[in-house]
Amino acid sequence: MKTKTKFKKRDLMGWLVMLPTLVLFAFYIWEPFFENIRLSLYTTVRYQTQDFVGLANYARVLKNPDFSAAFKNTFSYTFWSLIIGFLVPIILGILISETVHFKGLFRTGIYFPNIVPSIATIWIWNYFFTPGPTGVLNILLGKIGIEPLQWLNNTHWTIPLIIVTMTWKCAGSTALIYMANISNISPDLYEAATIDGATIWQRIRHITLPSVFGLAKTLLILQVISVFQILQEPMLLKNGGPNNASISLLMLQYRYAFRDFDFAGGAALSVMVALILIVLSGIYMKVTASKED
Amino acid sequence: MKKALSIAVCTAVMASMLAGCGNTAAPAASEAPAAAATEEAAPAETTDEAAPAEEASDEPVTLTLGIWPEDTLTADIEMHEGFVAKMAEIDPNVTCVPAYYKYSTDTFMPMVEAGTVPTIFETWFTEPQKLIRNGAVADITDELDARGWLDSMNPSIKALLSDENGRVYGIPRDGYALGLMLNVELFEEAGLVDENGYPIAPTTWEELAETAKTIKDATGAAGLCLLAKDNAGGWHFSNIAWAFGATLCTENEDGTFTANLASDEAIAAMEYVKSLKWDYDVLTADPTSEDWGTGFTQLGTGAAAMYIAANDAVNQPTQVNGLPVDKLAMTAIPAGPGGQYSLYGGTPYMFSKDATSAEINAALDYLELMGKAPVATDDAIAGMEADAQNKNAEGVPVIPRFPCWVDQDVLDAEAKIIEEYGNVDTALYQSYFDATSSDGLRLEEPGLTQDMYAELTKVLQAVITDKDADVAALMQTANDNYQALLDGE
Repeated sequence: MKTKTKFKKRDLMGWLVMLPTLVLFAFYIWEPFFENIRLSLYTTVRYQTQDFVGLANYARVLKNPDFSAAFKNTFSYTFWSLIIGFLVPIILGILISETVHFKGLFRTGIYFPNIVPSIATIWIWNYFFTPGPTGVLNILLGKIGIEPLQWLNNTHWTIPLIIVTMTWKCAGSTALIYMANISNISPDLYEAATIDGATIWQRIRHITLPSVFGLAKTLLILQVISVFQILQEPMLLKNGGPNNASISLLMLQYRYAFRDFDFAGGAALSVMVALILIVLSGIYMKVTASKED
Repeated sequence: MKKALSIAVCTAVMASMLAGCGNTAAPAASEAPAAAATEEAAPAETTDEAAPAEEASDEPVTLTLGIWPEDTLTADIEMHEGFVAKMAEIDPNVTCVPAYYKYSTDTFMPMVEAGTVPTIFETWFTEPQKLIRNGAVADITDELDARGWLDSMNPSIKALLSDENGRVYGIPRDGYALGLMLNVELFEEAGLVDENGYPIAPTTWEELAETAKTIKDATGAAGLCLLAKDNAGGWHFSNIAWAFGATLCTENEDGTFTANLASDEAIAAMEYVKSLKWDYDVLTADPTSEDWGTGFTQLGTGAAAMYIAANDAVNQPTQVNGLPVDKLAMTAIPAGPGGQYSLYGGTPYMFSKDATSAEINAALDYLELMGKAPVATDDAIAGMEADAQNKNAEGVPVIPRFPCWVDQDVLDAEAKIIEEYGNVDTALYQSYFDATSSDGLRLEEPGLTQDMYAELTKVLQAVITDKDADVAALMQTANDNYQALLDGE
């Protein structure tokens, strides 16, 4: 009995220290999250709830003619971001870590696109991708005698090319995280390997890659979560077009809420997105956890 | 000691946060926060000045002007400062607060919830019904009725600003009717001018394609700037579809709607657009990146020779994008096998839902001073004159408004001012004004119009980016999608 009281007293200090964080979380994250769920179950006028309609908003969103395209595209974005974007920072990180001269220059260089504001980046890429003879890439191709390409207007390329622009912008910051991780690997391991006659490829394969594996696992799920919520790039580059080739779930949600003022529809869609991400993350955790041990 | 200190810090942080909660929660709970806030905020100077006036019993009124010009338009601001000074003479109880607000859909609703919407603001022609449905704007029927303005409003434009019970929520800033804007410089360069030096404008869509081709071949500039980025694409396309004889949506007797996007006529119109890209190749580099604003840039900077646009936007190619005032011409939307049609509507002024009747009346007084109301008082005429003078100085064509008011005195006063301050050769606009006073004027299609535009824009994007696009199949899909949305209402 006595020990319990003691434990509680000690606990109180901890709770007090945590309290501001808890309140902030409750106020800025949990409350809006649950409010959002509530909103999705009602009809709304502006932000105010009117009548309880159960899952009717969800049914309505599922029936939206653009929903299936947005749903498919969002997975497509995620898929391509893993194909194109996942390995690039790892490779960059290893290459720069192995570099002896001008390390600082390369480090700054790869991070540079990250400090350009997103909208500026998107505009720059828009000039590059302009179809017809005035686009930057088409001008360059023209120099070597290749006919102008459609770039983003070729619906098979729209999503992969958008992912390329995002990789260009974001790979640098992720590479820095990998580099920090690599620099933590004990130099003894490399020395021992070198003495045993390991080549650079063997060192990377047997020392570097296993060391960054845990980090890569975490960054992968973070990447999936963030790319799944892609909005800015397709909206500003092609406004979801051509013919819905680049529309994403979050773009559809933005249209519900901020173009049509249908906040209930937007809330329903965002709850769906959250559910998909929770399920995806859960499955991923489960699969990778069993492999770890 | 340490423990006590940390407990104190924690408590302090908690307390400050709870205080924060209280403040944030308050405006959401109160239904009319703006009214309370404005009364509080009404500065003392008003009451001082107002004291001797005979309306001393009147409450002080604060009029927040969302229609104030943006900071860079210094000449416009000067003009408005004149209106404010006059306002102070007429009604010293009213304090005018400049509150430039550029309407945008992502900022508006939060402002409505927070009660910070300006008393009067300008919005897009797409918005009134949406805002009315959401209870986000004030009902001004009684105020308009008391002034006798209701009957002077163009009835079709009034309908666009009213709810199903006939209550009115806005007044038109300008009426607009779509026409075809021409960059005269490019027509001259391509040799498309008659013996008097006027551009030879196309009168049918077939002629437009040929004209565009001539210009493209001669100058390298695009013949036509077609929009296909957002709903404005569908908005423009409905004019082409009408000319080909299509009706895109019909209202049934039971109040339901039938989509009609897959008719032979509508498909022919879309085939025509496709041919502009793949047979004539006269469009700008990427129509799927063109929207209302970039279209004016293309036209104004000489990158495109023709553009579908309305008379209330003549400042866009000229003042905003630098086209000399005498190098802009407007002609009627070309005709097709189904006739000649021009879409018309109104750009509205609307009012904060929290505005009191006194505030609304002050805003209406202000519009009267601006010469934007159906009254031809001396002040109103002075306002119209100031506007024309300002346009003249800024290189914006001074041309007649599309009549949103049917009051003859106002129309006469306007005509006189345009005669006096006119800075363009009216021959350059004649066919446009002939068309917009003909039977070819047509309101937007009924029934979820924006959704219809969205569906049409998707088809436009497909036919412009894919040479092998199956127009009939795409229009059928658009029709099915649109009908599903109409049925779901």
